[in-house]
Amino acid sequence: MKRILTILSITLLFLLSGNAVALAAGEEGGSGSINPKEIIFEHLGDGYGWEVPFSHSHRIPLPVIVRDYEGGWHVFSSSRLMHGGEYEGFSIAEGGDYNGKVVGLRPDGNGGLVQYRPLDLSITKNVAALIISALVVALMAFWLVRWYKRNGMKAPRKGLGAFEVTVAYIYDGVIKPTLGTKAKKFAPYLLTVFFFILTMNLLGLIVIFPGGANLTGNLAVTLVLSIFTFLLTNLFGTKHYWKDIFWPDVPWWLKVPIPMMPVIELFGIFTKPAALTVRLFANMMGGHMIVIVLTLLIFIFSAIGGLAIGGVTTVVSMVFSVFMLLIDTLVSFIQAYVFTMLSTLFISLAQAGGEHEGASVATEAK
Amino acid sequence: MELFTPEIGLVFWMFVFFAILFFILAKFAWPYIIKSLEERGDLIDKGVLYAKNAKEQLDNAKAEAQKYVAEAQKQQADILRDAAKMKSQIIEEAKSAAQDEAKKVMDAAKVAIEQARKESELQFRNEVSSFALSIAEKMIKKNMEGDKAQAELVDKLLKEVENKN
Repeated sequence: MKRILTILSITLLFLLSGNAVALAAGEEGGSGSINPKEIIFEHLGDGYGWEVPFSHSHRIPLPVIVRDYEGGWHVFSSSRLMHGGEYEGFSIAEGGDYNGKVVGLRPDGNGGLVQYRPLDLSITKNVAALIISALVVALMAFWLVRWYKRNGMKAPRKGLGAFEVTVAYIYDGVIKPTLGTKAKKFAPYLLTVFFFILTMNLLGLIVIFPGGANLTGNLAVTLVLSIFTFLLTNLFGTKHYWKDIFWPDVPWWLKVPIPMMPVIELFGIFTKPAALTVRLFANMMGGHMIVIVLTLLIFIFSAIGGLAIGGVTTVVSMVFSVFMLLIDTLVSFIQAYVFTMLSTLFISLAQAGGEHEGASVATEAK
Repeated sequence: MELFTPEIGLVFWMFVFFAILFFILAKFAWPYIIKSLEERGDLIDKGVLYAKNAKEQLDNAKAEAQKYVAEAQKQQADILRDAAKMKSQIIEEAKSAAQDEAKKVMDAAKVAIEQARKESELQFRNEVSSFALSIAEKMIKKNMEGDKAQAELVDKLLKEVENKN
């Protein structure tokens, strides 16, 4: 019975997502046409409000925090800017370079006004989702801590047990075998990264309020994460690691007079986090995009072929959407795992040398 | 393309919130969780080892008990055999003792009989001699009734004593 309820509620969620898009499309395309590109990028991108189901015009307002060109800070609700509203000289640009962003006007020196982009630290939909994700992760972790404090050596069950198993899976399966004795030093960072990414990924798949933000499919988020990995890798790098970069064990003519290998190695320092950034970003964004495109197919085919073709497309699209969402759930986990695993690997490579040579050689061999 | 240009606001907040989350969890959550997990793992390992040892000991104890039982049985058989041996020995000894005793008794009896016979013989002789004496007395009394005879006898006896000296 419980299982049936779960399946029903999940199905309902998917249907809601379809409905939301349908309504969105319906309201947008008042003139009868829909603009797939606009819809796709609206859903993949950021926003100053959070969409609610069954309505395109109503949004949960979020705070807008901007600094104007004179250095003054402005904080106000995003509801003031909705539907082309203007507040304290700021509005949301439609079209142009800053499409969908808060812009202000400033004198261009010739007596006229020119549009400019203020320093924008608004709590946008993505930032709000970020906060929610961080809270969820912290909540889970402290829930487990509280369990240990209350129950001692007793193993948790059900949800908390699943969380604990995942922690053990990452710690014992990825961090410890790769980092060896340094595992405890880097585990907090790597575990935080794993659960933060996983939570963001999974919340992104839920289409209504607490979720729906395409966070890990946003370059800014993945960039910051890989910058942290980059910093940890290089700040804690051993002498041996730096020596391998600037004076690797290759024939001398590869190093002098043209420092070919050092340049390649130095380049490698930056390509590693770049690969991390793009991998997570592309995977998650791709997943979101495919689901949206599949859903949009319904409206495109309905517009072309009428009710019959539209009906058939609806069924087919829904089946594929559900299938894609299930795959995305798997991808959510895999990408979080891969990001953590590669971060662990990069950090362990920088820990090479001295007593840890054996461990790092083992991981390289993998 | 908006998607490929990281927004400075989001980068800033991501940095802030990730750093906060990291510091809070790194300080209060992960070390504790890892410690608890490892402690429990150690406990389970210890438990498994303990159970294994206990099982081994139990098996050993069983074997040992069997060994003791076998030993006891052997001892029992030994004791029984010894007892049987002892029994026959005791009987044998008793028999020989009884024989000895009987012989002793018989010997004593023989001696007593002999003694009694001797005594009775002596007594008999004494009586016979006393009889003979009294008979002889009576006969002598009868013979010596005349003075002549008495004088003759005294003579004779005196002659004998003279001869002797």
